[in-house]
Amino acid sequence: MASKLLVSVRQLSRLNYGSPCFTRAMSSITSATGSTDVDQKKDEHKGITISVPDKVDLSTITGVPEEHVKTRTVRIFVPAVNSMQSGTFNSRRWRMEFDERERWENPLMGWTSTGDPLSNTEVHFSSKEDAIAFCEKNGWDWFVEEQKKPKMRVKSYGANFSWDKRTRVSTK
Amino acid sequence: MASPRIVQQGIKQVKPLMSVDRTEARRRVLNLYKAWYRQIPYVVKDFYLPITVKMGRDKVRELFLKNKHVTDIRIIDMLVIKGQMDLVETANIWKQRNHVMMFFKDTVNPKPKDFLSKFYEGQE
Repeated sequence: MASKLLVSVRQLSRLNYGSPCFTRAMSSITSATGSTDVDQKKDEHKGITISVPDKVDLSTITGVPEEHVKTRTVRIFVPAVNSMQSGTFNSRRWRMEFDERERWENPLMGWTSTGDPLSNTEVHFSSKEDAIAFCEKNGWDWFVEEQKKPKMRVKSYGANFSWDKRTRVSTK
Repeated sequence: MASPRIVQQGIKQVKPLMSVDRTEARRRVLNLYKAWYRQIPYVVKDFYLPITVKMGRDKVRELFLKNKHVTDIRIIDMLVIKGQMDLVETANIWKQRNHVMMFFKDTVNPKPKDFLSKFYEGQE
């Protein structure tokens, strides 16, 4: 990546050498870009692996503003099933959601506005652990709302008339 | 409700981004810092910035020190790459004046810290 960048800069500067405005001593490519041979991956590094801590914190390079890393809390949960339908598709995946920030009604159209860049983030995960790992990696505080699985009971109409049920009121 | 935090304390083997050890990463960082330090007078002149060279260099130092807690070599490398891109964009004047001045955030009002001033502000 850096070496590619360096090449492009070299080409660019070559174009500029002809123009008189580029004669300052400082404009030598090394000083302008901070690239020296140190900044390129060396060939003998091929196949080498380095040991790094398991816990990776990407928050310094993601570009997310600091206030949205340190002050946000993520809720990890399974969305509820649609109460008007019998399907359970919603509850198959885990989702993360940021804490709610202020929303207001836009006076012009009456639409809902927010100043929060992360408000409508919708990210799905196949497991709770994945979601947690993602939050940890990005430096967000998180909590998990455990999934409530409905208990299925065996029901049968005939069981209402079983010999030990009080529902059988007459002997007829 | 809240489940226990996972404590990741292990060490894993990964492919390096550029540097293979901390010394090399450190050298890259210092190289970049020096390059920025030397470029600042020209940046101030080229962009006709309303700051002194000292202020510019202090800002560079501040931005470098902001990430001094980073220990992961790959993250350091990535930060160096990004810093280098920034320097190239600045040195070649692909940036404009306001993009450089954005580092200073002098037009941004500080956010209220305590409860009462947050309340007066009316926004979170």
